Amino acid sequence: MAAIGVHFGYTCACVAVFKDGRADVVANDAGDRVTPAVVGYRDTEQIVGIAAKQGRVRNAANTVVRVKQVLGRSFDDPETQNHKSETKCELVNRGGKAYYEITAGEQSQYVSPEEVAKLIFCKMKETAQSALGSDVNEAVITVPFEFAQTQKRALREAAEAAGLQVLRLIHEPVAALLAYNIEQDCPAGKSHVVVYKLGGTSLSVTVLQVTGGMFRVLNTHTDHNIGGENFTQALAQHLAAEFKRTFKHDVSGNARAMMKLMNGADMAKHSLSSLGSANCFVDSLYDGIDFECNVSRARFELLCSSLFNKSIQPIKNLLEKVNLSTSDINKVILSGGSARIPRLQQMIRDLFSDVELLSSAPTDEVIAVGAALQAGLLVNKENLAPEEESITVDFSAADILVKEVDESGTEMFTVVLPSGTPLPARKHHTLRGGGKLTSLCVEVYQRFVTKQPERLAKIILRDLQSREEDHEVDTMVTMKRDGSVHVSCTERCSGRSEVVTIAAAAAAS
Amino acid sequence: MLLEALDGDGTVVYAAAAASVQVQVEPVGRWLEAYLKRRSRTTSASFQELDEEEVSSEESDDEEFQLEEYLMLRTLDPKDWKNQDHYAVLGLPHLRYKATQRQIKAAHKAIVLKHHPDKRKAAGEQIVEGDNDYFTCITKAIEILSDPVKRRAFDSVDPTFDNAVPSKGEGKENFFDVFVPVFERNARWSSKKHVPKLGTIESSFEEVDNFYSFWYNFDSWREFSYLDEEEKEKAECRDERRWIEKQNRASRAQRKKEEMNRIRTLVDTAYSCDPRIKKFKEEEKARKESEKKAKADAKKREQEEKERARQAELEAARLAKEKEEEEAKLAAQQAKKEKEIQKKAIKKERQKLRTTCKNWNYFAENEADSVKMMEEVEKLCDRLELTSLQSLNEVLASGSKEDSKAAVEKQVQEVNAQLQREKEAEVQARQAARNAEQAIGGGAGGGKGWNEDDLQLLIKAVNLFPAGTNARWEVIANYMNLHSTSQIKRTAKDVINKAKNLQRLDPLQKDEINKKAFEKFKKEHSSVAPSIDNAAPSERFDSAGDSNAAPWTTEEQKLLEQALKTYPVSTPERWEKIAAAVPGRNKKDCMKRYKELVEMVKAKKAAQEQVAAKSKK
Repeated sequence: MAAIGVHFGYTCACVAVFKDGRADVVANDAGDRVTPAVVGYRDTEQIVGIAAKQGRVRNAANTVVRVKQVLGRSFDDPETQNHKSETKCELVNRGGKAYYEITAGEQSQYVSPEEVAKLIFCKMKETAQSALGSDVNEAVITVPFEFAQTQKRALREAAEAAGLQVLRLIHEPVAALLAYNIEQDCPAGKSHVVVYKLGGTSLSVTVLQVTGGMFRVLNTHTDHNIGGENFTQALAQHLAAEFKRTFKHDVSGNARAMMKLMNGADMAKHSLSSLGSANCFVDSLYDGIDFECNVSRARFELLCSSLFNKSIQPIKNLLEKVNLSTSDINKVILSGGSARIPRLQQMIRDLFSDVELLSSAPTDEVIAVGAALQAGLLVNKENLAPEEESITVDFSAADILVKEVDESGTEMFTVVLPSGTPLPARKHHTLRGGGKLTSLCVEVYQRFVTKQPERLAKIILRDLQSREEDHEVDTMVTMKRDGSVHVSCTERCSGRSEVVTIAAAAAAS
Repeated sequence: MLLEALDGDGTVVYAAAAASVQVQVEPVGRWLEAYLKRRSRTTSASFQELDEEEVSSEESDDEEFQLEEYLMLRTLDPKDWKNQDHYAVLGLPHLRYKATQRQIKAAHKAIVLKHHPDKRKAAGEQIVEGDNDYFTCITKAIEILSDPVKRRAFDSVDPTFDNAVPSKGEGKENFFDVFVPVFERNARWSSKKHVPKLGTIESSFEEVDNFYSFWYNFDSWREFSYLDEEEKEKAECRDERRWIEKQNRASRAQRKKEEMNRIRTLVDTAYSCDPRIKKFKEEEKARKESEKKAKADAKKREQEEKERARQAELEAARLAKEKEEEEAKLAAQQAKKEKEIQKKAIKKERQKLRTTCKNWNYFAENEADSVKMMEEVEKLCDRLELTSLQSLNEVLASGSKEDSKAAVEKQVQEVNAQLQREKEAEVQARQAARNAEQAIGGGAGGGKGWNEDDLQLLIKAVNLFPAGTNARWEVIANYMNLHSTSQIKRTAKDVINKAKNLQRLDPLQKDEINKKAFEKFKKEHSSVAPSIDNAAPSERFDSAGDSNAAPWTTEEQKLLEQALKTYPVSTPERWEKIAAAVPGRNKKDCMKRYKELVEMVKAKKAAQEQVAAKSKK
């Protein structure tokens, strides 16, 4: 059974399909793996994707961009007002909610942001279905961490209107973690991960703690004023200056020319992520003059250096907030289209000197893949866990250890149950004891992070037969949800067994 | 390497383990899903083993579970596969519907290894060729049990399932012992998981309610396609197939209905026997009763309150009334006093008038005149008001004899005129009353007039036949008809009406009738001299008052005189006592009579004196 994961971003949407244990991003009908979240209204049809984005030059008033910004917000919301001032598409107030006024066709119509989002979801669904060749409804959709309840609801409704069955809404940074299968690498113990997402218009940095294969968001930072478009803007400004220098025409006041320049700059920017220099070429930019300009990567990096600094700065601030140093971070994940920029990656690498930087997957697809993996987990589940922001899980607070001696006779401790194990848990260990001994002593300790181990219990096995081989003691450690520990030891040869139950201390509240 | 235990050491717990910490985590990832699954199963499997562990545990199950050899296997008829117990054939009769697909497959594998014709052939057994070998039964069994739909159909008609529903009698005795296994047995048909348990006697109302609402809305997956008599696949053409389908559908629906009825009966029986339901009903009843009682109490209280208010009101009203009465009494006393004063005054004036008149010798020359004048003065005394009496007395006191006489005469004339007027008015009133009475009498008599003779006759007849006479009014009517001079036939009804009318008439009218009769009598017997009717004036006074109008009889007169003598003037409440002594007369009557007598005596004496003085002259 297939399921899909949809990443619905501000500028772009991406869909991944989970099938046969694998999650893959699928390309849309234009052959692109990422679809611009742009909807263009024409007389007779609505277009979604790259065609709408390109058509925006001529149809700006009827093209909706960045619909995610107003989704689920009231008209009076400052974000909505901000969006209204930026977009070329008329936004009107109807009953406290924002509606787009579309003037295509014979008469103007009012379109809610949910309907626009629905069209995008429809497109994603079609894309997935054409790749699968079969119908698919179950989907997991990602939302930014800062999304409010109303926004989540609006997004869910839009997806449901498009015929998707929303299995769960998950947060974008967590989806990125899933895509890299972080939890598999460190199932026990704690580790910290930074998810750096630089999208088209927004930056978000999240610090997560991974414990026992489960994720916990420690803190997050979001900035809606920095993103790929700012870089494009900077490049376009540079191109306009170049044009003025060459042809003595100022095009910065000409909206259509600027839009053309933006498209050109966008493509040049994409090329610069892999190439040393890119050729920017715009036909008939102004007054029938064709514009051609070569931009080197160094030039681009110079143009955007202040912006790059601005995008890196929040990482440090955030780490300070959660009292972690860069060395405490085990992994850094890059996501979002703009995280492809080599200079940015370099800067992050410099910041986390000895930390693995995960950017093997295409950064703008990573989140969709994670969502698809989650969808694959949830699909065909009979009773889904109730839709919750988060789930409360009991974890063990301390390591449970067993004292042993090594060959040289010095004491050492073996971790049986590491702290941060989700409870209830059971672990089986085989301990060994010298074959000549007729009695064995299993000592159980617990240890908090840095403290000295504290002795909890001692289990004595007596009257063992003395023999050549070592005694093998099957030890089963069971920990209940309240933290109480049950240890049972059985000597494999004689079948002698001892059981001890250690009660949990009263929960520290 | 573990350490050696020291001597004297024992298994011991030193300290408590650290309590667990609760952490909010993102709802993602397979670790979380595995964890949630584990948590919901409430088994404490190692978190590290995840799904692999489940697999291994099932595999170990496979190793452990034993196949029970089906002894009859070899004797089974492959043609009769529909009636075979597929679980038994595969050696899983102890697991039945609980068997997992994995177990079924394993069992099949094991059994095939043992019973495959090739194997048996190798062992030197005789094999029946083709489909007739019992191995076909095994194939059929796995065919049925490996297909979820077919398996469900077979499970639905599991021959070992006990469809029995306990009777009410059984249920009443020990409800839980009887019904718990029955419900547990039937719970396997539920499409929903987590079938509520019957619970115990202590179960709360919600639990019991939930239980019964679940079972009353029981959604069963049980279906009876396995029992289809015709097989669709066997049909040769479409029409036949359709017919078979129709038949099957009907019988399935019928069976399903029976099944639902069975469940319904079961739940109904349980409900009616459930001691908890009874308990809840009683509680409910008690609650309602207490509510009702509370209501009634409130009502009663309210009523009492009202009653008290009403009592208070009544009390107030009574007090007010008493006060009023008191006042009225006072006023009456006051009035009486005033009246008495007035009376005294009038008496005094009268006396004065009389004495004055007497002094003037009644302004008369001769004795007859003086007597007449005396009468007139008496009349004046009676008639005149206090004020006019006073003025008259003043005139008399101040003026000469002539003036006085003139004044007195004038007054007398006035009084006489007034009397005349009154008399006339009275006569007129009487006339009018008679007319009205006659009109009534005429109406009652059906146009038959009653003349004087008839009335006389009627009175006579009524007196002749007193009350109590047998068929009195008929007799009276007969008598009237016999003796009447007028030729009118009267019925008892007429007579009774007239008699009643007469009784209703005031005594005056009776008197009149009597008088008329007397006059008539006088006319008839003219030899008898006409007597002077002295009683006329007194009669008028009598009629004006409410006292007994009847004239004084000699007997009464005698009694009065006796009483007057017995109770002298000084006796307190003299007149009351006198009145008591004279039966049939009241105080007023007696006083009046006494006055009359006094006047008469006085007049007589005066007349005698005058006569004596004349003779002296």
